Amino acid sequence: MRLSVVFLLALASVAAAPTINKGKAFGNPNAPLQIELFSDFQCPSCRQLHMQILPSLMRDYVLPGKAYLVYKEFPLPMHSHAKEAAAYACAAARVGKYEKVADALFEAQPAWSVNGQVFQAVSTALTPAEQKKVQALAQDPAVLAEVQQDMQEGQLERVNQTPTMLIVRGGKKYPIGGTLAYDLLRRFLDDISK
Amino acid sequence: MTFRNRLLQILLLLLRLGVGGIFVYAAWTKLRDPWTLFAISIDAYHVLPQWAVLVVARTLPWLELALGIVLVSGFWRRTSTLAASALLTFFFALMVRAYVRGETIDCGCFGPGEAISPLTLLRDGALLGGSVFMAVMAWRRPRQAGTLRREAQQISETVVTAPPRD
Repeated sequence: MRLSVVFLLALASVAAAPTINKGKAFGNPNAPLQIELFSDFQCPSCRQLHMQILPSLMRDYVLPGKAYLVYKEFPLPMHSHAKEAAAYACAAARVGKYEKVADALFEAQPAWSVNGQVFQAVSTALTPAEQKKVQALAQDPAVLAEVQQDMQEGQLERVNQTPTMLIVRGGKKYPIGGTLAYDLLRRFLDDISK
Repeated sequence: MTFRNRLLQILLLLLRLGVGGIFVYAAWTKLRDPWTLFAISIDAYHVLPQWAVLVVARTLPWLELALGIVLVSGFWRRTSTLAASALLTFFFALMVRAYVRGETIDCGCFGPGEAISPLTLLRDGALLGGSVFMAVMAWRRPRQAGTLRREAQQISETVVTAPPRD
């Protein structure tokens, strides 16, 4: 009886744990630091973070195995094309092209956020075969549900702005909202890594 | 001293305990985390060079703690209320500036994860109002050196001896 209760509790905790799409996660899953990045493809601050901070973060922490970076979609309601962009990015993750598509979306953000031609930006990072696949996957209810789930996770974590980095170290969570100087982020990450 | 004056005294005591307690709480929320996390919040305002950000991040929580304790204790009332008002005016001005400029940044008031919003502005504005009121009253009245116990004693005497109202 006691064993079955323990088993059920363990099962419930596994079910309640946030799911991680491996196509949107980078680095060593057993790294001491986990960084969940809640981002909106149409938000200018997210673009700034993606283009100016992330390359250094990848180089110094993610690639050497010190941090595990997980992208989470958090399209804001005020951005009319953000959800569509998030769906394309999640679809691209299923063909192993999340990072490339994210780069392309942020690069062309000033254009598609005005003209609404999101797929045009996405397609520059994909082969013709991948384009067809991603276009179909972006309409898949499972992909749309994944975007929704990321948003719900963000709401549970009280994310109230984008970008928000949720840095997890030893069970303690540190939310960092907005853009920031990489030097300070590095000092902080080194501080909590000790 | 009239009953009305005593009521004012109670209000000032509650206000001082409240503002002082909030200062202590604000300091604790910063001191429990690595100081570099607070440095990130300060830097988001883009008003200080990075060396100054590091200095402020290391010292400000301790200053808040000291100020909170002095406010609660009731010593140096004129200086402490004036210092609290000056500090809150500075914080409030920075927050309003960031909000008006449309910057979505962390307030940094009580640890990380709280973006500047009308609600945070209202809260900090009310705190500033209360602090300025205390400072004005402290400087208008004759100098008072009182401990919490003495103050509570004075108030309880008043409540007991206050004339009944029809």
